[in-house]
Amino acid sequence: MRNGPAAPQRHRCGCRAIVPPELLRRIAQNGTKPQREAALATLATDHSLRFARATAQLTGGPPRRLALVAAEFVPRRTVFDAGHREALPGTPVRAEGQRAGRDTEVNEAYDGLGATFAFFADVYDRNSIDDAGMPLDASVHYSVRYDNAFWNGRQMVFGDGDGEIFNRFTASLDVIGHELAHGITADEANLAYLGQAGALNESISDVFGSLVKQYRLGQAAAEADWLIGEGLFTRRVKGVALRSMKAPGTAFDDPVLGKDDQPATMAGYVHTTADNGGVHTNSGIPNHAFYLAAVALGGNAWDVAGHVWYETLRDRHLRPNATFRQFAALTVRNAAQSFGAAAERAVATAWQDVGIDTSARSRRVPGRTAGRAPARRGRRGIA
Amino acid sequence: MSLQIDFGIEGGLAAFPGLAKPLRIDCANLAKDEAGRIEALVRRADFFGRREPAHAAPLPDARTYTIGVDDGSQCRTLRLDEPIADDAMRALVAELREHALRLRRAGAR
Ligand SMILES: [Zn+2]
Repeated sequence: MRNGPAAPQRHRCGCRAIVPPELLRRIAQNGTKPQREAALATLATDHSLRFARATAQLTGGPPRRLALVAAEFVPRRTVFDAGHREALPGTPVRAEGQRAGRDTEVNEAYDGLGATFAFFADVYDRNSIDDAGMPLDASVHYSVRYDNAFWNGRQMVFGDGDGEIFNRFTASLDVIGHELAHGITADEANLAYLGQAGALNESISDVFGSLVKQYRLGQAAAEADWLIGEGLFTRRVKGVALRSMKAPGTAFDDPVLGKDDQPATMAGYVHTTADNGGVHTNSGIPNHAFYLAAVALGGNAWDVAGHVWYETLRDRHLRPNATFRQFAALTVRNAAQSFGAAAERAVATAWQDVGIDTSARSRRVPGRTAGRAPARRGRRGIA
Repeated sequence: MSLQIDFGIEGGLAAFPGLAKPLRIDCANLAKDEAGRIEALVRRADFFGRREPAHAAPLPDARTYTIGVDDGSQCRTLRLDEPIADDAMRALVAELREHALRLRRAGAR
């Protein structure tokens, strides 16, 4: 068991033992006696470390050990200007720590990368895309009238939009989070970009993209708009965003672009060969399941639902070719292990409501008895 | 004989069902200079002679373009994944995208 509440402490570098405090607090409240004791002990460590860090900041003189801790969490951003060409990455125009300049796209990319880095560090104790401090590179002003953004396996790429359908792609924080999350998914689960695994890949990017925005705005699940790419459309387009996790299929209905065709449930699953099997279409189903779970669980979506999805993304049983049902079964199991029966029920019900049955009879968690453990995931194992 | 071209855009961070459906661009119905520009780009890209484009593992949110060209004596359909390395093909795609959008807008009116 890698993330069970019985042993929530993770030691990666011998100098820190910080675990998500929200998780520990819940275990301290609801766990068994040994679980509670372990969690309380860790909470004490956690608080003292954080307190020491904060104190060090105030006094301006961090002890050597803490300096190392802090260094581990510093983003290393570089924003490049592709100069309306296709060669990547282009010319570096803003490096970590440099002040904002006049270029809106450059500043938005820099800030968006910072917000995304901070979200994963603060909430999930993750140090960048690879959890090992990978530099965050983004190129803006890519190509001419380029109406897209993508992750090329090494960096993020943003177009300026064509001015007719799209504004600049850096304008939406959840889109920056979406692209960076593709890097995390590739690092952790390497989900195939095809069929249901591809739709899960897309959905995970939407989930964490939306959570980055919610965290930044301090919005609880019930207050968030659950839109992806709000503000990207020009005024000529009849639509509010690219996708809606709250109400898939309602984000746009435009004479040129067509009508948002995302299904919210399995009844509307689209069988197609286009877009790698409709990865941006069928992602509406797991997107909606996450929304339903987050709202049912209440509070901030990143605290419980987000944790469950994050732990599932890191779950060694999640295969690159996972189906919706397999992913769903893992989220239910992770919810039970980390947050108890009520969370398990809420997550299972959310999947049921989108037409995916995760009940014990239908549940076949992949690899449960196979003991398959990709070597590199061991780095986050419990010491 | 003027060119008939079918053009569709799949996927992308912003995947639109309305743009994925291939659209027919008939150069016979275009203004002479527009048709000439497209025909020149098709020639420059050596559309009928070039090798089949390679398809690596798809990059998240990269789009795929489908271009079918019929010149009256031969026809060929190519699928191109972003990012498109070849300058001539990229220029052709950009031109077709603009035309397709204009046609869809006119059709929607
Ligand atoms: Zn994506």
